[in-house]
Amino acid sequence: MININQVIKEMDLVGDPSNHRVVVAMSGGVDSSVTAALLVEAGYNVIGLTMQLYDYGKALQKKGACCAGSDINDARLVCSKLGIPHYVLNYESIFQDQVMNDFADSYLKGETPIPCVRCNQTVKFTDMFDRAKNLGASAMATGHYIRRKTKQGQPSLYTGVDLSKDQSYFLFATTRKQLDFVRFPLGSLTKNETRSVAKRHNLNVANKPDSQDICFVPEGKYAEVVRKLRPGSVEVGNIIDVNGNILGRHNGIIDFTIGQRKGIGIGGRKGVDDNNSILYVIGLDTEKNNVIVGPKEFLSCNKIEISECNWLIDLQQVSEFKVLVKLRNSSQPVIGTIKVNFDNTLAYLLFDQPQFGVSPGQAAVFYNINEISHILGGGWITQAPNKLAETSL
Amino acid sequence: MNKHIYLDYNATVPLLKEVKKSLIDCMNVGPLNASSIHYYGRIGKDIIDVAKTNISELINTNKNNIIFTGSATEAINLLFSNFDTIIVSSIEHSAVLFSSKSDHIIPVNQDGVVDLNFLELYIKKLVKNNKKILVSVMWVNNETGIIQPIKDVVEIAKKYGCLVHCDAAQALGKIKINLEEIELDFLTLSGHKIGAPSGIGALIYNNKIDLMPQIIGGGQEKGMRAGTENILGIRGFGEAAKCIINAIENNCLKVKSLRDYFQEKIKVLSPETIFFGEKSNRVSNTILMALPKIPGDLALMKLDLESFSVSSGSACSSGKVSKSHVVSAMGYDNLASNSVRFSFPPNDAILNSENLITREELDRLALCWSNLQSK
Repeated sequence: MININQVIKEMDLVGDPSNHRVVVAMSGGVDSSVTAALLVEAGYNVIGLTMQLYDYGKALQKKGACCAGSDINDARLVCSKLGIPHYVLNYESIFQDQVMNDFADSYLKGETPIPCVRCNQTVKFTDMFDRAKNLGASAMATGHYIRRKTKQGQPSLYTGVDLSKDQSYFLFATTRKQLDFVRFPLGSLTKNETRSVAKRHNLNVANKPDSQDICFVPEGKYAEVVRKLRPGSVEVGNIIDVNGNILGRHNGIIDFTIGQRKGIGIGGRKGVDDNNSILYVIGLDTEKNNVIVGPKEFLSCNKIEISECNWLIDLQQVSEFKVLVKLRNSSQPVIGTIKVNFDNTLAYLLFDQPQFGVSPGQAAVFYNINEISHILGGGWITQAPNKLAETSL
Repeated sequence: MNKHIYLDYNATVPLLKEVKKSLIDCMNVGPLNASSIHYYGRIGKDIIDVAKTNISELINTNKNNIIFTGSATEAINLLFSNFDTIIVSSIEHSAVLFSSKSDHIIPVNQDGVVDLNFLELYIKKLVKNNKKILVSVMWVNNETGIIQPIKDVVEIAKKYGCLVHCDAAQALGKIKINLEEIELDFLTLSGHKIGAPSGIGALIYNNKIDLMPQIIGGGQEKGMRAGTENILGIRGFGEAAKCIINAIENNCLKVKSLRDYFQEKIKVLSPETIFFGEKSNRVSNTILMALPKIPGDLALMKLDLESFSVSSGSACSSGKVSKSHVVSAMGYDNLASNSVRFSFPPNDAILNSENLITREELDRLALCWSNLQSK
């Protein structure tokens, strides 16, 4: 059973809830819907806002589909059920400029981007924040599974209690200033508890499945989206091995990710049957438009460069310390030593054990080595030299 | 909680008292399919006939020239499906802009009035290669309330043998429409803009011109619009037309004085407000204005939270607000996302019938507007 007093306590707003207007960022999914429901239950003056980010009909190339899709309508129905106002924010052009274009360019550079972080960083926690403030809100709440705690007057971030749903990897870029204003009422809940609240409120989204893909990429076919966004910039090229031998052709490096093993399209090579016969994508040469493949050992990476770091702790001018780092949302954190540059936004990380298949464009998120739930910050992986870098290719 | 104040009459007008009563009477009659040949069918036919008579008297045309449709948009689509070449103005409603699929767009000047010289030159050029051209210009713009020089448009179009359609959805009930005085070939109307239920529109056409229907079936509306007639909608439309014609003709003085009172208040409280089409020939009930630093959707949300229902730009059914193509067309592209429309009851008859808005409420609204800029 959810304790509403606990929700109020974690909201960390002085005085009676009814004195506070809280904007809830509503996607139309069960998490943000329950966030709104809990805050209404707690007595806050709640407003639901939903962002219209792209033309849904166009993205799915479906004639007659509304520009908004069904999610906005789900959010509206939830708000109507809860008796709170609901508005739609038209962020199509901002989203196109700041998220979709970045997504396409990143793939064209041979990276593997995470547009959801960019969206949180730009549209959601910048433009929507401003709107919430303009509407006189004391705070903006989202349905992320992550906890915000105030320690010595400074807000800090902790992983969600439900580790299977923890979204810290996608929220590392939240600044301390943003944390003053944002709240995550679901951070202490499990997904099952969330669904039970939705059922108790008889919300239309109670049984709605979780979204899996990037919202503007239908069925996970990201390469099709990149081709549509950047027509003509994706070219066929060669798949080569570490010695420069051409093993096959590819239809564009955007179809490949560092560390990829399946679906490279060079199967059935004759006379290769030793342990090193399994080939991975080990490099994407955008200049020569080559996909470079090689055995797993070539993926080994000892050190990465991380830029645009966001820190949620106080740092010395030059710092060097041990952290736990997550290199992908789904992977377990590993230990490394971080070296922070004097301007704090550039960092280098030395792994204790070599890592395999680290891809530029992904995020590196740091956790406290003594308290793994405590998020220290994170940044974007800009360099992840593997063994390939040592060869002459 | 404040009482909800509605100032979005250009979007829709609440059902008039007389209309409500007429609808209930109609519901009490019994089963009404106007195509049936029995007793009830005859009553249905009579209801349609009375409604057409009322509407024809309101706009001074022959009742046989009226075809009922499901909306003004449908009436426009039905008409436009008969033409390949349609010239439209840049400030038309989406019902015209999108259904015409036209590349022949006539600009407006900064006062929001269609450029007649441009229109004439354009027609002159286009008419050489085309036999059948339709010119479509709205009578009153839904966002600014600016009245278009329809008589001049007709005169120019006729000079070159073009047919003319006028979207009069926003004119009906606000200004006098007299089709005897103006040689329009087609006019489209919407019931809910004058206090009838939504779901009923009409195409008024010159029956010397053969049109092909879009909806084929049981042959209703002289074969021009198949489907069992929307008797309640038709009854309501007819009744609303009667109410307006019964009220003192074109009396909008009270509406105008409220609108002007509000406008003057705004000028005093937030002098930075920009009014669109203030100097133009406008209907009495509409103000379109903007604060340079406040996005229209933000203004709309904040006013809504203060219990004022107004509108901004053009909204999709999802609730997404896009920038105003009308404000852009008038040359204020930088303000096209900021415009907010306040529309009062279309005429004094409707204003009086519900005692809809007071000066005190307008004072409070003007104050809210001026407070939009303070954080």
